[in-house]
Amino acid sequence: MRNLYMIYGVIVLGLLGMAEYRGWSLASVNEVKNVPRSVRDNPGSYRSVYAVYHHYTGGK
Amino acid sequence: MSAGGPNPPSTPHVKAMNCPGCGAALSLRSFTQAVTVVCDSCHSILDAQDPQLKILQQFKMATGENPPLIPLGARGKIRGTAYEAVGFQRRTIQVEGIPYSWHEYVLFNPYKGFRYLTEYNGHWNDTASLRALPTLNSYAGQVSVTYLGETYRHFQTAQASTTFVLGEFPWQVRVGETNEVTDYVSPPRVLSSERSGNEVTWSMGEYIAGRDIWKAFAMPGDPPVPIGVYENQPSPFSTNTKAIWTIFGAFAIFLLIMMVGFASSARDEQAFQGAYIFDTSARGESSFVTDPFELQGRTSTLELSTTTNVDNSWIYLNYALINQDTGQAYDFGREVSYYHGYDSDGSWTEGSRSDSVAIPSVPPGTYFLRVEPESDSGHGTIHYEITAKRDVPQFSFFGIALLALLVPAALITWRSINFEHLRWAESDHAPMESSTDSGGDDD
Repeated sequence: MRNLYMIYGVIVLGLLGMAEYRGWSLASVNEVKNVPRSVRDNPGSYRSVYAVYHHYTGGK
Repeated sequence: MSAGGPNPPSTPHVKAMNCPGCGAALSLRSFTQAVTVVCDSCHSILDAQDPQLKILQQFKMATGENPPLIPLGARGKIRGTAYEAVGFQRRTIQVEGIPYSWHEYVLFNPYKGFRYLTEYNGHWNDTASLRALPTLNSYAGQVSVTYLGETYRHFQTAQASTTFVLGEFPWQVRVGETNEVTDYVSPPRVLSSERSGNEVTWSMGEYIAGRDIWKAFAMPGDPPVPIGVYENQPSPFSTNTKAIWTIFGAFAIFLLIMMVGFASSARDEQAFQGAYIFDTSARGESSFVTDPFELQGRTSTLELSTTTNVDNSWIYLNYALINQDTGQAYDFGREVSYYHGYDSDGSWTEGSRSDSVAIPSVPPGTYFLRVEPESDSGHGTIHYEITAKRDVPQFSFFGIALLALLVPAALITWRSINFEHLRWAESDHAPMESSTDSGGDDD
């Protein structure tokens, strides 16, 4: 059991090291390829998947 | 022959006799060392020291009701010495009116003498008489004994009756005979004292796996599966628990070193900053793009922070981080909202005026942001500032890693505690399950 835990711990720390080195994050981001260069001249022509947003306008 | 000589050859030493009660043939395997022998035909307990085999006691019970798991006459090697099973008895204690029985096997070797195996619910002990007396003392408020420098905690004291016998015994065995039996445990060993009148006999047992007994006696099939946790059964977790917490400590230190290392080596440099105003009443296209900025170094995080002046309102920003050269975009949306007020419970706040997010694994290159703000109309102008920082260490991963290391260690510890709880639940010192006595709480 000790050896198993040791191996498990090494894997956990290895993954942690890789996550930090590779710059992983828990954030939800959508990657899009080949966005046209024209977006700089006409920003409104690009709509991200997050564009339709229904906001909760509550508060207490 | 001498006591230090080699183990006996496999040739059986059996003395043939006849039972004076029923005339059945008797085999006396332990020669003159047997004090009593039981006829397995008529269950007469005979005086083995008497040439006439005087009948000491007769009892009625079919042998088939209690067949020994190790047949009498079977030979096996225990701790490197050949023994022959010569006797078998069942002993019973009553706890709260419930009978609990265990079995004892008498083993004999002409050079080493007698040794015993005990079995209860599939748990086996290899037992031998002590040659020195343990010291009675007190340990943590409990009675305990010390033997050869090891402390044994009191486990149970009970009156044990002999309820069945078969074969040969090196003492005057009787069915119905009752002794006070006290067990002290220090897993995997148990010290047992048996008091009969003024005479006290001490023995030491060591837990042994049933499969080792089966192997030693070359018996077919499998031993009975152990039920529950036995008094001196070694915990599979206790030795691991200390080691695992030690390993956990080492991992935690290494984790801390990693955290310091990554925090100090991270670039954590500002790549972009811009201040903007969003007029919620304005109509038309609200999206815009920022000036290009350079992300240097290896593939790493980009932390994007948004700071606003929202006050009982919200702003939602559709972001796209776009690589100017490759056209690759990272789309995400962030809401910043802040509400506050006062009610019967006092003042309250909800949300925050700032927000940050780490975009994962962004390669180096030239980027710009496309920003599209949204909010309810009529909230006036909202000022907001966007800051992008390159290669920011993600401390949340360290927390997750610590938790991932902690959970198995805690689970093993819990199982160890549970194992000991089950062990002591069968003792005279059973831990209290819960307080069910409601009579004392009325005043």
